[in-house]
Amino acid sequence: MNVSSEALAKPHRRESGAHLPRSAEPAPTSRVWEHGLPALGVLAGIILVLGPFLATVIRSLLYWDVDGTVSVTLLNFTNLLGDPRFLEAARNTLLCGVGATVFSCVLGVSLAWIVSRTDVPGRGWFEVANLIPFFLSPYVGAEAWRFLAAPGSGILHRLAEQYFGLKLPFLNIYGLGGVIWVLSIFYTPYVYLFVISPLRRMDSALEDAARVHGASFVYTLRRITLPLLMPALLSAAMIVFVTSAGLFDVPFALAATHGIRTVPTEIYSSLQYPSDFGRASAFGMLMLCLTVSLTLWQRHYLAARRFETVSGKGYRPRIIVLSPLGKVAALGLELLFVGVGVVLPIIALIMVSLQSIWTGQFRTGFFTFDNFSYVLLNYDLTRTAIGNSLILAVTGASIGVGLSVLQSYFLTRGPARGRGFIEAVLSLPIGIPGIILGLGFLILAVRTPLYSTLWIILIAYVAHFFPLAVRTVTAMLVAINPELEQSARASGATWWQTMRYVLLPLLKPALIAAWLMLFVIFIRELGSTILLFGQGTETISVALVALSERDFGFVAALAMIQVVLLLSAFALFRVTRTSLVQD
Amino acid sequence: MTLRTTALAALMFGAVALGQASAQEAPALKGASPEEKARVGALIEGAVKEGSLSYWDTVIQPGTNDKLVRAFKERYGLPAAFKVNYTLSQTGDLVTRIEQELGASRVTIDVAAISAPIWVFERMNKGELLEYRSPEYAHYKRIFEAGLGVDGYFAFNGGYVFVPMWNSENLDFKGKSYTDMIAAVPEGKLSMGDAANSTTFLATYMGQRTVLPADFFTKLAAKKPILLRRSEQLAAGLVTGEQTMTLSGMPTRAYQMNQKGAKLKFVFPKEGVMLLAPSTFILAKAPHPNAAKLWIDFILSETGQKILTESEALISGRAGFKSPIPEYSPPIESLNLIKFDWSKLNVQDMAKAKADWLNTFNP
Repeated sequence: MNVSSEALAKPHRRESGAHLPRSAEPAPTSRVWEHGLPALGVLAGIILVLGPFLATVIRSLLYWDVDGTVSVTLLNFTNLLGDPRFLEAARNTLLCGVGATVFSCVLGVSLAWIVSRTDVPGRGWFEVANLIPFFLSPYVGAEAWRFLAAPGSGILHRLAEQYFGLKLPFLNIYGLGGVIWVLSIFYTPYVYLFVISPLRRMDSALEDAARVHGASFVYTLRRITLPLLMPALLSAAMIVFVTSAGLFDVPFALAATHGIRTVPTEIYSSLQYPSDFGRASAFGMLMLCLTVSLTLWQRHYLAARRFETVSGKGYRPRIIVLSPLGKVAALGLELLFVGVGVVLPIIALIMVSLQSIWTGQFRTGFFTFDNFSYVLLNYDLTRTAIGNSLILAVTGASIGVGLSVLQSYFLTRGPARGRGFIEAVLSLPIGIPGIILGLGFLILAVRTPLYSTLWIILIAYVAHFFPLAVRTVTAMLVAINPELEQSARASGATWWQTMRYVLLPLLKPALIAAWLMLFVIFIRELGSTILLFGQGTETISVALVALSERDFGFVAALAMIQVVLLLSAFALFRVTRTSLVQD
Repeated sequence: MTLRTTALAALMFGAVALGQASAQEAPALKGASPEEKARVGALIEGAVKEGSLSYWDTVIQPGTNDKLVRAFKERYGLPAAFKVNYTLSQTGDLVTRIEQELGASRVTIDVAAISAPIWVFERMNKGELLEYRSPEYAHYKRIFEAGLGVDGYFAFNGGYVFVPMWNSENLDFKGKSYTDMIAAVPEGKLSMGDAANSTTFLATYMGQRTVLPADFFTKLAAKKPILLRRSEQLAAGLVTGEQTMTLSGMPTRAYQMNQKGAKLKFVFPKEGVMLLAPSTFILAKAPHPNAAKLWIDFILSETGQKILTESEALISGRAGFKSPIPEYSPPIESLNLIKFDWSKLNVQDMAKAKADWLNTFNP
């Protein structure tokens, strides 16, 4: 299983087992480290989660009257619920979330099935290529698709008209359809990662039995394969829904400009002059109720179900030999996905970034490298932004992984009492949309020296995404038998020595995977940054938003730089994974 | 006196003399009266100690700011290490940021230029703007008389207007009035500024509503216009052909894009245009007040205005200033300006106008 899917799926747990022999009881100082440090990590995690959460709750209950008097009331909520624009935003957000989830699930399962269960040519290559959109920024994807499919000026429109005399009025990236399209492309790899492992581990005898008894291919798929995939698929669907519904970037680029509101863009809008923190907080609270409930339901659902695709028998899933037509269809779907998710957006960005002025088509007379030299060398904002993003990604990923080791240790080796509750609390940030978390930290930090600094952005990043690292590390930690540590302790090693020489080396692959995953997410993160940045603390994503309102060439050049950074991380990820397999 | 004391005294004398010499070398001090020399000298000394300046604007492109910074440092003989931190922002974002900083008493911004007159007047009345009597204000008397600035608090660094604009490669428009646009542009191919999310577009709408009937805006709304937050986006949409015409074209952007090969045209409609004057002020709690005062002096000077007009096609409010590109940046007296007294309005009036705009365009 790919490490990323382990990070997103709920890990299995193994109890720590036997106690240490009496002779190896640790010294009191060692015991303080052993229990104190992981507990401190957990405490830090809880503060990171509850701090912004409580700030948003409290702010949503405060109402400032015209004369400046403050009261504790539900007025922010009643005002919001009585506003038809809230209902419109909620409806649109729901549509985006559901639409993106449905399309991502259909595409993700299809692609995973093609790669894992069929003999389509180039499976190894597609296995890698299908993951690339996971590493790219949805905001950059939205910008690229603007260049490709904006009505009247999109590259695809121009090509269709120029070469085929065709007009494509249906191809309009602006609006909810465009948002769902881009979200689906970028969230399909999430579903793919979730379901490819169960598909590979599935006992093909079940499908064979169905086919022997006369079931058609579609019937077998519907009644055998999909039900077996259901736990993984539902987990993926939940993550995709919660994440896509809470995403600010794509609706901001493709819907807000056309007067279409969603909850994240309305929260942003509420904080524009004249700012209404009460309205924004109430928006955030209502959204949180939905996403956190879904996250908790997902945890409950997974805890109650058993994964039944894996048995004790050793077997390989049967590879289905596709008919020539089937091969063409499967190959076509793969090429289409990689084309629309990776190739076309990157081509569009390259074309636009090499033009002094973008006219909707590539003109040799406007060819220039100036956009790259401008964003890399001549523009303070972008140079600062690239530096800040790298600082945040490297530092944030390191802190996130450090924190995840302590928390995972506590959750797998620590006291069993209250563990479920702590784990549930620590997993909450996954269900909190970035912009709401950013709002919470803004409320907390606005009157402190942290306001407008890189520190507050760093804290928000770590708070939002550490659960992903915790899951990756925990998944590995539960697979390591505690007897290894107990042997080291019985031989006289201190807790710290045991960690350093036994546990951490064994955890290394998971730590690298978690670090790279956080690095990638931090490089492209926008939702929580957009409310927290200040002068000199802009990130690449913030600079992209600023440039997207100014010059297509600049934004495309900076987007290409971000793509190169993210693809480098992807390449590193692959290299790491290769060594993982060899180990 | 020991050798050591003598050497120390000589060193100190040398340092003072060097400091004075470098301050005297600053072009800003040449030919100035002794009082002015003392005043500017003290500001320069203070600015050097402060080391930087935080300047936010909603119009000036970073490339233009680079030119301004070079000229600014040269004028006052500021060291290479002196840094002007510049941010180009959206008006609403900038207002929000300043509000947050004022509310939290954590001001990081020194100078800002914003076309949100009602808001600026309110901030001034609350004592949140620094009172500074720049000598350059002497050249902006008529601006103060017109209510576009307040002596001792703010003038504008360069005005601009939003007018009907089109790409002449895609449309041959001969109209002279706002109302001529209605027939010239098909549904879905018109763009305009998003007044719900931009105070400058809202201000323009408030002005236009005084010279245009409500019916005009209803007809405009029926064209299902694309609503954008920035003038750069509006111009870029015309260049790519995504839209045919915009209600909110900024001649500045036409000037900048036409220099790169675009064919944008615009008209100053006969009904009049709303002049947006980015009030350029210093915040009372500015962390670098000396540098901020020098910046205000510079940006309103003949040199500053020349750079702004040549690079941004902004309309200068400085008396006697001759525009080098009058077709894009006409003299202020040649424009039919919509008369509007911002000092008599408040935030509630803006909120009302915003609600009116929302009801018409229902975005």
